[in-house]
Amino acid sequence: MIRISLNIIKPYLLLFAFFVLAGPAIAFGQITGKVVDQKGKVIPFAAIRFADGNGVVADAQGGFSFDDKKEYRELKISAMGFETLVFNLEPNEESVKIQLKEAVAELNEVVVTGNVDMQSVKNSVYQVRSIDKLTIQNRAANNLQEVLNTELGIRFSQDNALGTSNLEMMGMSGQNVKILIDGVPMVGRQGVSNEVNINQIDINTIEKIEIIEGPMSVVYGADALAGVINIITKNPKQAVGYSIQARLQEETVGESYSPFAGEGNHIRNVSGSYTFEKPWKVGGGFTQNRFGGWKGNYTGRQYEWLPRDQNLGNMFVGTSIKGLDIDYALDILGETITAFGPENRLEVIDQNFVSTRWMHRLNGKWDMAPTFKLSIQAAYTDYARQTETWVTNVRTNKSKLSAAPGSQDRIDYSGFTWRMLGSWLISPKLNLQPGIDINTEKGSGQRISENEGIQDYAAFLTGEWSPTNKIKIRPGLRKAYNSAYQAPPVIPSVNTKFVLAPGLDFRLAYARGFRAPSLRELYFDFFDASHSIIGNPELKAETSDSFNGSLNFQPVDTKSIFKKTVLSGFFNEVSDKITYGVDPADPRITTLFNIESYRTTGLMLNQTFSLGGFSGELGLSRIGRYNLLSSEQTDLPEMLFTTEINSTISYLIPFIKTQVNVFYKWTGALPGFEMGEDGNGNQVPNEIRLDGFHWMDLTFKKQIGNQLSVNLGARNMMDVTIIQSTTGGGGAHGGGTQRPMGYGRSYFLGLTYKLSK
Amino acid sequence: MNRLQVFTHSFAGLLLSGSIISCDPKEEPIVELPAATEGFIEVNGGGATFPNTVFISLRKEEQFAIGRKNWDLAFATGSDFKVLINGTTGAMAYETAATDINTIGETQAEPLRTEGALELTFTNLNGILLVDNVQNPLSDPAINAISATDADNKVYIINRGSSGTEARPWKKVKILRKDGKYVLQHAAIDATSFTTIEITKNTNLNLVYFSFEDGVVTVEPEKINWDFAWTAGTSTTPFPAAVNGTLAYYFQDLVYHNIYGEVSVVQVLDSEIAYENFTEQNLPLLTLNSDNRLTIGSSWRSGGGPNSLPSIRNDRYYILQDVNRNYYKVRFLSLTKDGERGKPSFEYELVKAG
Repeated sequence: MIRISLNIIKPYLLLFAFFVLAGPAIAFGQITGKVVDQKGKVIPFAAIRFADGNGVVADAQGGFSFDDKKEYRELKISAMGFETLVFNLEPNEESVKIQLKEAVAELNEVVVTGNVDMQSVKNSVYQVRSIDKLTIQNRAANNLQEVLNTELGIRFSQDNALGTSNLEMMGMSGQNVKILIDGVPMVGRQGVSNEVNINQIDINTIEKIEIIEGPMSVVYGADALAGVINIITKNPKQAVGYSIQARLQEETVGESYSPFAGEGNHIRNVSGSYTFEKPWKVGGGFTQNRFGGWKGNYTGRQYEWLPRDQNLGNMFVGTSIKGLDIDYALDILGETITAFGPENRLEVIDQNFVSTRWMHRLNGKWDMAPTFKLSIQAAYTDYARQTETWVTNVRTNKSKLSAAPGSQDRIDYSGFTWRMLGSWLISPKLNLQPGIDINTEKGSGQRISENEGIQDYAAFLTGEWSPTNKIKIRPGLRKAYNSAYQAPPVIPSVNTKFVLAPGLDFRLAYARGFRAPSLRELYFDFFDASHSIIGNPELKAETSDSFNGSLNFQPVDTKSIFKKTVLSGFFNEVSDKITYGVDPADPRITTLFNIESYRTTGLMLNQTFSLGGFSGELGLSRIGRYNLLSSEQTDLPEMLFTTEINSTISYLIPFIKTQVNVFYKWTGALPGFEMGEDGNGNQVPNEIRLDGFHWMDLTFKKQIGNQLSVNLGARNMMDVTIIQSTTGGGGAHGGGTQRPMGYGRSYFLGLTYKLSK
Repeated sequence: MNRLQVFTHSFAGLLLSGSIISCDPKEEPIVELPAATEGFIEVNGGGATFPNTVFISLRKEEQFAIGRKNWDLAFATGSDFKVLINGTTGAMAYETAATDINTIGETQAEPLRTEGALELTFTNLNGILLVDNVQNPLSDPAINAISATDADNKVYIINRGSSGTEARPWKKVKILRKDGKYVLQHAAIDATSFTTIEITKNTNLNLVYFSFEDGVVTVEPEKINWDFAWTAGTSTTPFPAAVNGTLAYYFQDLVYHNIYGEVSVVQVLDSEIAYENFTEQNLPLLTLNSDNRLTIGSSWRSGGGPNSLPSIRNDRYYILQDVNRNYYKVRFLSLTKDGERGKPSFEYELVKAG
């Protein structure tokens, strides 16, 4: 008892000391006060408004004072990140301590990416799309692809030879999309942040996903050209207690299924966390994904979609000491993808692709002074991908590892990140955020030529300036040094936000972005009898100039059917694009050069609505990609546009209390041109089209009691398997290639059990 | 195999010494053994880098492996005067306008180097014009048939081929005929003098092989002593952007049957007649091919693709008729040995003895 009272009293004592030492001289007729948070920590620059509309602003130490007047007995105190409080002064009260409660906004209403603290979506200068865990649960998703595949501007292409998938965003390849976990860049098969396979992330650990379009190169450095996908992981709750979750989901893969193992998709997850009374938090989880593969048109040993076994583990320890919150998180991936080789009369050859990743993250947040906060992130990732080749003699049925050169291969990448981001509140109108970003990576493997790795050191400064409460301007500058390639010397950006009318916000941004040549592009060599491909260590970074704008309208009338309208557009111009070409010094060798330029542009419209038990959204986008052939063939269109439409509709069936969700997206045809021969043997551009397709998921979710929820549904309702690339324009060669897109309509049943106290 | 080697080597020796004897096979001391009734052969292709061309005789159940880069030019022994370049290393030949070999130098070679015009790559869209016909090379060789009129024979620049082997300096050649023999002039590109050698036709062989380093060399066995050859070599692939819609492309695991040695072949699908059930009675239904050496070619395997490894095609086999009118059925079993490419295997059975 005594100890507890002491703990409560201590901040009061401290506060008292502050008042006496730091507070201004107390004069009669003057009210003095101090604004603090629930823990007793000072809140700088809170606004104190009086009934007559006048007001004062607290100083950096949270202190304020004003001349006492009768009408000034009722104070309205507001500060960013806190709930606004109405405070009544007692008749003869002269010095007050005002405690504000931290605003607990809905998580999808805040944005984390690019800031030290959470910021409300409405106040952020960034145009952010976020997908929260409720949506992930409603979709009963197994992996991130199943969550993102109905997002506008995001396309997936399946690499079925390796059992991986690549993502494309805003008309640009996955190399230009930075994938972060809690702000830390991920390492994948191609090195740091280049074409990370997002399906190697445990979906069950995700709290929400933030998608920011447009480069965030000032804060996040290389590869954030098209945008950033920041995956925010779950964090144990603040209050003392525990929480346990278990999930079991069984799913067909197209029409193939066998219960709990083998054919089909089998997901199991357990996780738990405990928050101690002392400021310690621990958590951990384990997920198994067993994907049995899909044979498709194969009848024998081979699979069109390769079987995949994933084991994902994570753990978390966190504590806070004297204003310093610190936590350590570990994510472990173990994945085996098996490629069964074709039937042969004598020998069959199977391959295992074994990936392992250990990602260690240390996060610290330190409130050094009321106006200065520091966040520190250190991360170290080890990624290895091993190719094992097994040979089985079908006549003797003996298996052994293949002795063929290159058949047993291993690639290792390691990446280290050190980020320090300060947030310095200079005045209510100005906040400066200086930062340091150090990234090093190393890669080695049989096909990667000797290299020293890549070291990247950068310092950056951004700041938010609000000359009036209707305008926000956030300029930024990054200066970097890179050991391996020529990085752009200085990266600028400007993000702005204007409140045009109540409920109507306008954002406009310019940023320069760059994509670093990957370790693969720099050092990867590949030779066989008919291929000679070498990396080019002289490559420069690709750079881009990007313009983004958006108009958000949110009716003040909350009863309106139409909730939120977002119209956004972008324009990207990429120069020094890295592309394959023939080495002029040796025409037998193919290597990489900075030669092409590229452009993307697009418009998107998104409308959310709510009517009766229905709620949902409807989106439309039109994205243009530069037609590379148009530089030589001036009669060809310069930009090739593709349309996408998506919609999400949710309905709560009242009498059975079951939620129905429909997730739908139409991905329009992707036009293109390629050179070919006409009937007379002349080289002419032929129009090609990658067909459009409809994707629809239908899910039901029913909560049984407080602890159990049941998911039931069908994925890929339109039964998409492949999309066709066709040659049009009277070309001699019809048909064309096919691209795998799905494995047909699949059904799932899942149970999630949650217990917490 | 030893028997064959001893014979061919001693024969080459005779050739080099210039004492040419008309060899009638009937006078051979070696007695023809009865044709093998069945066999299983693991081809000694040398492994994943495909260093060898392997000549196979079914009736003798023998194979004869020779390095692909051991030769540069092959001189036809029939009535025509035709010369082939080494497609098994991806060699190419460019016809210059010159007739005097000394007038050709780096000046003429340099534009070919910078454009990559004389390199067998998938970016050389005109490559098909500078290689021998892939199906029947003597029908349309890269080097025009040697004319009896010396002034019609141009100087050629030869890239000796770097497909699956290290690049070697280019050569220039001019070939003439004289008294029923070939006269070859050859030199390094920038040389101002040249070497001359006479090449005599040997009708026991399809072709007389020549190496810039070693002169006349033994490559293929006598033409009656091999049925097909397994090798890596120049073939073609349809490619709309290339000239004639065809790209000269280097293939691994090609099988040429001996079209100049009276061997003919046809492919049979198991769906028509299963390999096990194929007998002499089925032979009259077939038309065997003897003018396209790529009849087997690469059809016995699939090259693999973005989603699969190369593999043999299990749905087919081949009927081969050898020079002695023996009919064999042949099916390929594997592209690999212990997982390593370049070591294929096949099995065969005698269907009808000749």
